[in-house]
Amino acid sequence: MQLNPSEISDLIKKKIENFDVSVEAHTEGTVVSITDGIIRVHGLSEAMQGEMLEFPDNTFGMALNLERDSVGVVMLGAYQHITEGDTVKCTGKILEVPVGEALLGRVVDGLGKPIDGKGAVDTTETSPVEKIAPGVIARQSVDQPVQLGLKSIDSMIPVGRGQRELIIGDRQTGKTAIAIDAIINQKGTGVKCIYVAIGQKRSSIANVVRKLEEHDALAHTIIVSASASEAAALQFIAPYTGCSMGEFFRDKGEDALIIYDDLTKQAWAYRQMSLLLRRPPGREAYPGDVFYIHSRLLERASRINAAEVEKLTGGKVKGKTGSLTALPIIETQGGDVSAFVPTNVISITDGQIFLESDLFNSGIRPAVNAGLSVSRVGGAAQTKIIKKLGGGIRLDLAQYRELAAFAQFASDLDESTRKQIERGQRVTELMKQDQYSPMSVAEMGVSLHAANEGFLDDLEVAKVRDFEAALQSYMKSEEADLMKQINDTGNYSDDIKKGIQSAIETFIKTSSW
Amino acid sequence: MSELSTLARPYAEAVFKIAVESKSASDWSEMLGFLSAVMQDKEMLAIVANPKVSQEQLTTLILDICQDQLKEQGINFVKLLVQNDRLILAPQISELFEAYKAEHEGYVDVEITSAYALTKDEQKKFVSTLKKQLGKDVQITTSIDKSLIGGFIAKAGDKVIDGSVKGQLQQLAKKL
Repeated sequence: MQLNPSEISDLIKKKIENFDVSVEAHTEGTVVSITDGIIRVHGLSEAMQGEMLEFPDNTFGMALNLERDSVGVVMLGAYQHITEGDTVKCTGKILEVPVGEALLGRVVDGLGKPIDGKGAVDTTETSPVEKIAPGVIARQSVDQPVQLGLKSIDSMIPVGRGQRELIIGDRQTGKTAIAIDAIINQKGTGVKCIYVAIGQKRSSIANVVRKLEEHDALAHTIIVSASASEAAALQFIAPYTGCSMGEFFRDKGEDALIIYDDLTKQAWAYRQMSLLLRRPPGREAYPGDVFYIHSRLLERASRINAAEVEKLTGGKVKGKTGSLTALPIIETQGGDVSAFVPTNVISITDGQIFLESDLFNSGIRPAVNAGLSVSRVGGAAQTKIIKKLGGGIRLDLAQYRELAAFAQFASDLDESTRKQIERGQRVTELMKQDQYSPMSVAEMGVSLHAANEGFLDDLEVAKVRDFEAALQSYMKSEEADLMKQINDTGNYSDDIKKGIQSAIETFIKTSSW
Repeated sequence: MSELSTLARPYAEAVFKIAVESKSASDWSEMLGFLSAVMQDKEMLAIVANPKVSQEQLTTLILDICQDQLKEQGINFVKLLVQNDRLILAPQISELFEAYKAEHEGYVDVEITSAYALTKDEQKKFVSTLKKQLGKDVQITTSIDKSLIGGFIAKAGDKVIDGSVKGQLQQLAKKL
């Protein structure tokens, strides 16, 4: 939009005319000491826990420790210009961030300010970063799926709308890749995505933004970035900021998906703040309430019922439920899931997707360990076709794992054992999937059907993926109606079953791969 | 500073209790005021912090400086402070004591800074409106700060009522 100078001065004139001159009453304090982003302020007897405090030059801090004579404040941003003796004002407000549709397609910092150079965010609505999660009456059980677009996850570890599913694994195991694929796959489904990057390299964040742009997935996504170079307080607050932005969609009867990448770094930032505020350290030097910072955050991801949506929108939206699905990410060190923060988050979430570096290095990508990964509520939300076919896949892989270790020592195996191992090898191969190529329900259904009905058993293991690719392109060009029907209904009726069966049979007869 | 007032609080409370019992609050207020003025002197601070100066020497020195300013109880108080190595707390003790005294007597000290000198009438108006606002008797001290451009700023403890042109300009700047 082009603004001409006269418009600007008109705008300013209007603002000045509407400016209401009021006598301002507030509480003041003085800066006593400044150490590592923690500022002690004397006075401020009326400061609230979590209140925004105004420092000179329009900088803000958050009151965290309220003591008898002083307040411990963490700075949200640069604090180099603040000196001892500066006055600090109470604002009377808990930290708030902008929310709204206008944020979609934007990259913002931990306080919701745009950092993508696309100008101001056109929204007037704000929401406090810390809110209480919906109560029991407001909730509804999870029964609609979020398709992540990955065969191995959607078939074996399904995620439902409103669920919290942890993605856990060592560094370089493809945790972020799963999250990005999930965002790309929400294109056109109406599910809004929020990607919260905490303590990451700026280059990685830029990479994510570029990939999403390339795959046309930025338009339904908000990116909240608190990179490694930003203040610990901002890294701590960013997940709550993102959550408030997601709750905006949930509360008006839409579905949203939020990814916290990653909560380990948020816990580190919180540990830093707490130690500098001289709160007593506990296990692994984390403060006593490190469990609570994650539990209260993840509890806000929920599905709320139509009555609650109606209440929250003031009767504007009727008969629609809202959901906020959370995919928190936790990075483990050397596969140790029994460290403090991983165990905490595992116990909070409704299941976990466990990624392993061994699998990743042996070429199984996504490197999902099907045995240790679970989804506690997603089963109820799975599409019928995936649910029916996925059960077989899970069983095949479980039996394969049991036998594979044992079969390494045995030279000759009986027929049924050998068959199971071969099936397992082929299913494992089939579960591999390239990055940035999420699959639709129908595509998955066809692949899983082929595995379940034994079409893969006669193939060489190395040929499985070529076969799958050829089959998919055949189905796309020759059986578009059938695929559409599956995508629309999600059913696995006898008709559809027969349709897929005969399509694959014709494909095998007529094509090569 | 905040840690210092935490340390000073028990002393101030004790002194205040004695003062109330013996009805000598204004005497104590003067003594503490004098003591705090002494303790804000740079040379004095250096002497207090010097480990070579013994406690007896320090006591004699302070009592010499204060001479008639200190009553009997005041002398004891100085001795106690020297003994506990808390002489540097004198300014904080005095400050807290004044706060207790003000609370006990039911008035608030309000500092009014204005761009121009206030007339007697204006001061009276301030006293009556502030009395309504704060619900307590008000004692005002006034000062002039040209940089406010116009209007006034009233400070009562850490409560601030900003009615200055400067403050309003700042508000306006923020809005734009």
